Amino acid sequence: MIRQARTATLLPPHGWQLLPLRFYRLDADCVVATNLVGEHVFMTPAELSAVTDGTCADQELLARLRAAHLIQAPDETLPAELLAIKLRTRMRRLPDSTGLHIFVVTLRCEHTCRYCQVSRQSAAKSEFDMTEETARRALELAFRSPSPHLKIEFQGGEPLLNFPLVRWITAEAKRMNKEHGKDLAFVIATNLALLDDEILDYCAKEDVYVSTSLDGPQDLHNGNRRRPGQDSWQQAVTGIRRVQERLGTDRISALMTTTEASLDRAAEIVDAYAELGLRAVFLRPVSPYGFALRGRGGANYDVTRWLEFYAAGLDRVIELNRQGLPIVEIYASIIAKKMLTNTDPGYVDLTSPAGIGIGALVYNYDGDIYASDEGRMLAEMGDRTFRLGNVHDSSYADIMLSDSLLHPLMESLAVSAPMCATCAFEPFCGADPVFHHATAGDFTGHKALSAFCRRNTGLFTLLLRKMRDDPYVRNLMWRWAQ
Amino acid sequence: MAVGAVMLKLTGRTEAAGLAGPLADDVWRVCMPGESAAGRPLACLVPSGQRPAPGYGLYLLGAEAVPGAPGPALRLGPGLGHIEPGDIIHVPADARRVSVLWKNSARHNGLLLTEQCDNYCLMCSQPPKDRDDSWLFDRAMKVISLLPEGARALSLTGGEPTLHADSLIDLLSHCKRVAPGLSVHLLSNGRRFADPEFARRYAAVGLSDIMAGIPVYAPEPGLHDFIVQAVGAFDETIHGILNLASLGQAVEIRVVVQQHTIPVLTGLATFIARNLPFVAQVALMGLEMTGLARPNSAVVWAEPADYQRELIEAVGILTTAGISTRIYNHQLCVLDQSLWPYAVRSISDWKNDYLDICRSCSVRDACGGVFTTSGSRLSQHLHPVPDQSAAIHGGARA
Repeated sequence: MIRQARTATLLPPHGWQLLPLRFYRLDADCVVATNLVGEHVFMTPAELSAVTDGTCADQELLARLRAAHLIQAPDETLPAELLAIKLRTRMRRLPDSTGLHIFVVTLRCEHTCRYCQVSRQSAAKSEFDMTEETARRALELAFRSPSPHLKIEFQGGEPLLNFPLVRWITAEAKRMNKEHGKDLAFVIATNLALLDDEILDYCAKEDVYVSTSLDGPQDLHNGNRRRPGQDSWQQAVTGIRRVQERLGTDRISALMTTTEASLDRAAEIVDAYAELGLRAVFLRPVSPYGFALRGRGGANYDVTRWLEFYAAGLDRVIELNRQGLPIVEIYASIIAKKMLTNTDPGYVDLTSPAGIGIGALVYNYDGDIYASDEGRMLAEMGDRTFRLGNVHDSSYADIMLSDSLLHPLMESLAVSAPMCATCAFEPFCGADPVFHHATAGDFTGHKALSAFCRRNTGLFTLLLRKMRDDPYVRNLMWRWAQ
Repeated sequence: MAVGAVMLKLTGRTEAAGLAGPLADDVWRVCMPGESAAGRPLACLVPSGQRPAPGYGLYLLGAEAVPGAPGPALRLGPGLGHIEPGDIIHVPADARRVSVLWKNSARHNGLLLTEQCDNYCLMCSQPPKDRDDSWLFDRAMKVISLLPEGARALSLTGGEPTLHADSLIDLLSHCKRVAPGLSVHLLSNGRRFADPEFARRYAAVGLSDIMAGIPVYAPEPGLHDFIVQAVGAFDETIHGILNLASLGQAVEIRVVVQQHTIPVLTGLATFIARNLPFVAQVALMGLEMTGLARPNSAVVWAEPADYQRELIEAVGILTTAGISTRIYNHQLCVLDQSLWPYAVRSISDWKNDYLDICRSCSVRDACGGVFTTSGSRLSQHLHPVPDQSAAIHGGARA
């Protein structure tokens, strides 16, 4: 009862074409080939050669490559159509433009962190506070964004030192939103030292999320994050617990910064997060900006050591999941989403086109507008390359069409950047013109010398190997990707 | 072998009582005495001991009904006692038997629209026949005209209904007119929808609740086209699904789990998650060992107990991608317990059954049972699940 033999539907030798395909050698006997949107297949180098020269006779491999849109039969149009749909899906967030609007409501801070990326000012100098008039102009610009989702993030300095303005901006944004009807969210990035009941009441009533800093165990945290009394960790931990109790565990997240002192303590850092009931940890490298660049900031370690740190931390996160504690490592989850879905999460530091301006805008206390938080940090060091204008004299069009934004966006575009264009990891990666400007002197950088490239290539390699070798990790990445 | 009691006999013998000549029609809706026929083909079910009122074109008499109907009457043979008002029956010209076309109390009602098909799937349960069967569409039109008020769900099956494009569009339009609230499930291989004009006509009918159930058996043409025995089918089916989606039409993807699809099940789940994430649901279906599946048994049959790992991984990929996923036609005792939440009692009432060993099973009521049509070709691992609490701790299988 079988009319067509199996062979009738198989690809004969030389009977397929390569679709856009890039590859990377993961190990001596394994390469990964990726398509335009990051779908990927593992194979041996010999198999890859046979596929590319048309001699491959392994029908199971050819079928997997066909399913992943890496090859096609000569007369097919469907793979290209599906690839186009997937590529459009990845890009669909771009017309929405800027969703994240960062308000630096004050530059003052009562902490003096070793790695702080913006100039700290003593807590008394009110000339470093944003005014209501500046905030109002900034809000008017933020509401010009076509994005249906607006997230307003209060930053500093320590934003709670200018809490009246935080309240004012929240109320004013909600008032303005009656006309715009956007999905509006608020986040305060605070060290929590100044948290009190009034602030908790406000967060509860106005539905405000809290983001804080936690570098890990007490001695590590306090060594990095200095304040009078050396009690930054105690303040943060107490604050985290208060927010969890009052607002709920899903209303607070914490970020950590890796310094040299962190490098051997990845598992301890992860455990510190887990013990506090935090369900996500973000193992981030230190940024090459601000005080961190000046040598005493703790950034004097290379990418290799950071990758070892990351791998140890990720292993601990995976181990905790195996034990039944569902904790997420954010960096891996962002990459998993890019590897396993058609959605680019639009994480500003790992997306292409870059996240500057079109992913986030920063309104500094004095009204200056920056394309990213890192761009503001460079300006504090005297480099105003990423200053897009000032809320008091720039229109929305002035900002979004300024050369200061468009040039770095165009020159850093990963899909056309030298070495990125041919890289198998391009669909997973991003463009970081601010990093490359700061470290290489131009927006593109030379990827052979780029720490950004080495770090992310290392991460992709690590995650791909783990997904290839461990079904549990593969399953975990699928869950994190959603 | 069968416990029985669950199965319904859908066709049975009748004894003509008072037939003067041919009946006025061949499709009838069964009604209670008192419902006005108003020129419609309503068959009055005569309660035992009652003498029916005149005015109906056909009377149905139970075993104990008093004879002497005021018109053409049929005495229902053994096994047809379940026929009740709201059911729709077919009576051939010789009136020697009746077939139930619509069982009003059933969860599933299907109408076969054609036996012709342009696929020839290795495990087809309804092997295609290449002959003029346009009478099937005509009969389906009559059934739809007679659907009782409150009729909820109708499956349209084949063969491949879209081969008769005009008839199908007419039939769907008819549904829209006479039963606009009906939930319609159209089983199709999807190939015809690759024609944008046909897809547009289908969508333009405007039924509020219609879903096309379309099989995809592999993530690439090489294997799919072999399984459906038609070169070029994958290309057309996927184009068809894309066309339907772009018109806002609901699509269900149906995957029959059999020897050829098991090795690619996770690859297929990944393909669906990446390329067709908009589908309304994915149904992973156990084999019904009838039709072509019997002669092809050696190349299609797979023991369900042996493919649980693949099933778990595929369900994991689909559900984490946010795609509603169902498992059809699998007995709970051979399904890994982690998959029970996705298992649906999917086997139609008229062809599901339970075995003697099912008598002591604690989850029988939640289980779909087995296909009566599958004969003896069943999992070797069927067994009664001792009781829920033991099952929860120990897993469904040892």
